[in-house]
Amino acid sequence: MHISDGVLPVAVCAAGYATAALGTWYSLHNINKQEVPQEGIPKASLLAAGFFVISWIHIPIPPTSVHLLLNGLIGAVLGFYAFPAILLALFFQAVMFQHGGLTTLGVNATIIGGSAMLAHLIFQSAKRMRIAQPEKRIGTAVTGFVAGAGTIGVAALMLFTVLILSLSSAIDPAAERAAISVAVLAYVPMMLIEGLFTMATFLFLLRVKPSLLGFSTTPALAVAPEPIRTNVTEQQ
Amino acid sequence: MKFWLDEYATLDSPLHRWEPRYKLIALLTLIFAFAFVTNLWLIPAMVLITSIIFAMSRLPFGFLISRLRYPGAFLLMIVLIVPFLSGQTALFAIGPLTMHTEGMMLAIMIIARFSTILTVSLVLFGTSPFLHTVRAMYALGLPGILTDMVLFFYRYLSDLAESLATMQRAMRLRGFQLQRLNQQNLGQLAALAGTMLIRSQEQSERVYHAMLLRGYGKAPRPRDGFDLRSNDALALYGILMIAATIVIANIVLTG
Repeated sequence: MHISDGVLPVAVCAAGYATAALGTWYSLHNINKQEVPQEGIPKASLLAAGFFVISWIHIPIPPTSVHLLLNGLIGAVLGFYAFPAILLALFFQAVMFQHGGLTTLGVNATIIGGSAMLAHLIFQSAKRMRIAQPEKRIGTAVTGFVAGAGTIGVAALMLFTVLILSLSSAIDPAAERAAISVAVLAYVPMMLIEGLFTMATFLFLLRVKPSLLGFSTTPALAVAPEPIRTNVTEQQ
Repeated sequence: MKFWLDEYATLDSPLHRWEPRYKLIALLTLIFAFAFVTNLWLIPAMVLITSIIFAMSRLPFGFLISRLRYPGAFLLMIVLIVPFLSGQTALFAIGPLTMHTEGMMLAIMIIARFSTILTVSLVLFGTSPFLHTVRAMYALGLPGILTDMVLFFYRYLSDLAESLATMQRAMRLRGFQLQRLNQQNLGQLAALAGTMLIRSQEQSERVYHAMLLRGYGKAPRPRDGFDLRSNDALALYGILMIAATIVIANIVLTG
């Protein structure tokens, strides 16, 4: 789901860079509000590298196989770091594998990073509404599915809207709308796979490392702990 | 696992000797000038300029071909679809599909822009050690948080790739076969992905603590430290002039 160099007009590339800059500024602004902004950098970078590597896993869909995008999972796990992490991953994909491109980096980051931020909002809202909680496996699983599948749907809609509006200047609007609808419908199986995979990964993390999903790992104590004895002689 | 980025960074050529900040500004400007082109008459000039830059870089031609292979599939899809989707002047019809002249010209333009931009970007990142290019980006104003993230990402990417390969090998040795997707396979792949994320996070904590001990985040890093020669600036102005000429020529030719 990356647009290569040379495909889009330079005005669209410039608009993509402007929106990506806005997204990055918003993320960095929120990161800098944290008490120790540097604390999250190694975590976000290594998790971004981890996501980058996981996206190499082939999922067999006969007669072919697909790669996962994982923007729903990235948004849920990385929060505000998701946008810069995706920008970074796309930059590396462009320079290492020529997948995507330098001129289209802004557009691609806006599409994938923007949808990851949407996943972050979905997950945070589900947590606030107490739908996604450590003790509510079904609610967390449904949130994972919605975040995974929904973000792919939104990203596909943005991708094909940009592609078709940029490339088909001489066809009528009805045909454009039909082309966008067909292209997005073709992504429905991918949405389902991403949704199910995100759901399964959410459930795995909930069981093994809930702190990665932002859940507290310290169980609530049934009995209040005794106060620390400051002076032993007082008790004697 | 090794990545190609620094494979040819130690060759000796004018592009390798060019100061990374100037090279970054010049070649990125040229890349965007190529992206600006919409007139087919400018394609020979774009190809000529790109060929000269690539020849001067002394990068092997086989290397360029190997890098073109991966994005070729996406480009092929665009080139096959665009002539049918875009334009009004019919060129010929295949069943219910009509190929248009305007679409055909757009497809040729996309191929030209794609191949020239890709070649120049390969020269940009292939003729300096990657860390020098990142330093140049930082010197040109890339935010510190993003610079740190790029460096961490680059440092640990190959480690994590090795880790994934080891886990996949271990799964295969235990009899895991991914012929088709079912509930069990999906659960195992999700466990693989989840384990990768947990390993990444745990490693990041160790790295962060080790870096704190070395004073990470205490003092701002300087944004300079490059040696400039007069030829560096001359080459920068030359490429900027070429880029400006391409943009002006495109505006004049397209009216």
